[in-house]
Amino acid sequence: MFAYVVKRLLSGVVVLFLVSMTIFLVFWYGPQEPAQVVCDRQTSNRCGERIELYRENLGYNNAWYEEYGTFLKGIAVGRDIKFGNRELSCAAPCLGRSYLNDAPVWEEMKTRMPATFSVAIGGAALYLLLGIPIGIAAARRRGTLADKALVSSFLVISSIPYYLFALLVWLFLTISWEIPLFAETGYFPLTDNPAKWFSGLFLAWIALGVFGCTSYTRYTRGSMVEVLGEDYIRTAKAKGLASTKVVYKHGLRSALVPVVTIFGIDFGTLLAGTIFTEQIFDIEGIGRWALNAVYQRDLPVVAATALFGATILIISNLIVDVVYSILDPRVRFS
Amino acid sequence: MTDPTAGVQVAETTEGRQHFSDEPTGRRDKAIEGRSPLQIALSRLVKDKLAMVCAAVVLFFILVALFAPMITSALGVSTDVVRSCDVLECNAANPGVGYPKTGPPFYGFDAEHPLGLAPRTGADNLAHWVEGCRTSLLIAGSATLIASLVGIVLGLTAGFAGGVVDKIISFVTDFFLTIPFLLAALTIAPIVIERYSTGDSYATAQKVSLIGVLALFGWMGVARLIRGEVLSLREREFILAARVVGMPIHRIMLRELLPNLTAPIVISVSLMLPAFVAAEAGLAFLGIGVTGSPSWGQTISKAVPYWSNYSLYLIEPMLGVVLLVLSLNLLGDAIRDALDPKTRR
Repeated sequence: MFAYVVKRLLSGVVVLFLVSMTIFLVFWYGPQEPAQVVCDRQTSNRCGERIELYRENLGYNNAWYEEYGTFLKGIAVGRDIKFGNRELSCAAPCLGRSYLNDAPVWEEMKTRMPATFSVAIGGAALYLLLGIPIGIAAARRRGTLADKALVSSFLVISSIPYYLFALLVWLFLTISWEIPLFAETGYFPLTDNPAKWFSGLFLAWIALGVFGCTSYTRYTRGSMVEVLGEDYIRTAKAKGLASTKVVYKHGLRSALVPVVTIFGIDFGTLLAGTIFTEQIFDIEGIGRWALNAVYQRDLPVVAATALFGATILIISNLIVDVVYSILDPRVRFS
Repeated sequence: MTDPTAGVQVAETTEGRQHFSDEPTGRRDKAIEGRSPLQIALSRLVKDKLAMVCAAVVLFFILVALFAPMITSALGVSTDVVRSCDVLECNAANPGVGYPKTGPPFYGFDAEHPLGLAPRTGADNLAHWVEGCRTSLLIAGSATLIASLVGIVLGLTAGFAGGVVDKIISFVTDFFLTIPFLLAALTIAPIVIERYSTGDSYATAQKVSLIGVLALFGWMGVARLIRGEVLSLREREFILAARVVGMPIHRIMLRELLPNLTAPIVISVSLMLPAFVAAEAGLAFLGIGVTGSPSWGQTISKAVPYWSNYSLYLIEPMLGVVLLVLSLNLLGDAIRDALDPKTRR
């Protein structure tokens, strides 16, 4: 077990290293003139010949592997960054400084993390709370009209692109019907005003929850139907256990194993990219920050958010693998 | 030999042969035809009413996309910007740009602009819708084609070659799966803008890079699926027989393996297309997809502020995306059910 975890951890680190290198290379070779944005800003759009100075000081004249080394060193111990003639310090873990306002990227990321985490955790909790019970209920009433209606209506909802669903939810509930609870969407720090935090995010959670629960209903239903057909369930019924006990105590435990795995990966994806949710509901999280950075070609911020997303995905895959090996004793650690 | 899964075909043809040997000279009135699994699936699909409705809707969208320039010229509409007080509401304080003088809630529909005009620009909505349909299907279709080709080739190679090749391809597949698609698209967008924003080829560069990004992050599912299928197929007798008679490897792959992979390929392609249509519109909605030419997603993001006063503008492109994606998805589901009756809901 321990050896397995160490092995997965090591391969996770290797993948993270490769991803960070890919992102670095894309930003190194991609843009025609990466230093242009910061030069334009500091010289009030009269960059001209001075671009050479910026290029030199930002390290774009050196070999990429040298600069990648500097970048990694910056993450470990911090480094100094030169924007033209100005030298700015950047404390560890240094992900660079924004080309637009000199702000250290990591500091800004820290202030935006709570918003993204609030959205993702609330949404995920809601879709589990809705999806699993509905899935169980559908599995127990398998084949009835209610089950068929539920399955097909959920199929239709999950076939619509998520962002359009979220957009429609926002347009109708906030703009057209002006429901007071949803009047002001956005992120307000939990510590300042918990009620406002809740009402600002509630609509985003509902959109994520209702849309996400359709696939969880499907997984839970499928897995539950399979489990309820097993011999040990028949045994449990035959020895006279109450049907709720059979379903929830004997059935649910094994039915949830595949659902937990899917949830882990989904949650990682959710954390890594709540871009649509944040954009539609005006939540100032990491996704929206990344999007604005793209509009304004703020390359260090885009690179940092991409790295953040990849890291979250790798960590969540790692956790899923380990948890799965605990939940399902049949998994071998080799 | 090429089709061991065709159980029905084998059974039916042997039955036919027995009849034939019973009456060596007699001609049977109604010959029993062997049907391939694909034909059986097709007949099952045709019986599925919902699938047929979806297929009709998809066909409609494909026709609109194919004949978009002809449709717009036949209806006399264009995507050109017309900033004039003839078609847009004007007032003295703010001349030129306002709500269009057609379409609800303030005006009725008129025949000249059946779907109304865009606020502020006065461009025709119908023309935008038709051109948007073309963009959407062009990008999603090309990306599907490239992604499934890459996926099939890599999956076949990995599954059939095994060993180190398999390990490398599987690692690359897993590597790509750990990169979040949306963030990757976001990462590549500023670079394309940076590189081509001043050139004439910006619109084309945007489309090509979009197709590239979609294909780059869409092939992994197919590759994994095909690899798994090939792993189980390559140990079968008919592959062994082909090897024994000395068939070259590329021929084994194309002639022996590929026909047996039709079902998974058809299923994954039919579910990849709606995902790409949705992704294209989604990226355009965020402003990082197609911005140089008409696109549904782009119109949706422009139309959001006009929801309360000119909802027509938003409803049209939204209806386009939802209808197309929904019917493609449901059709894909029906195709999967038809090809593999075990997954029947």
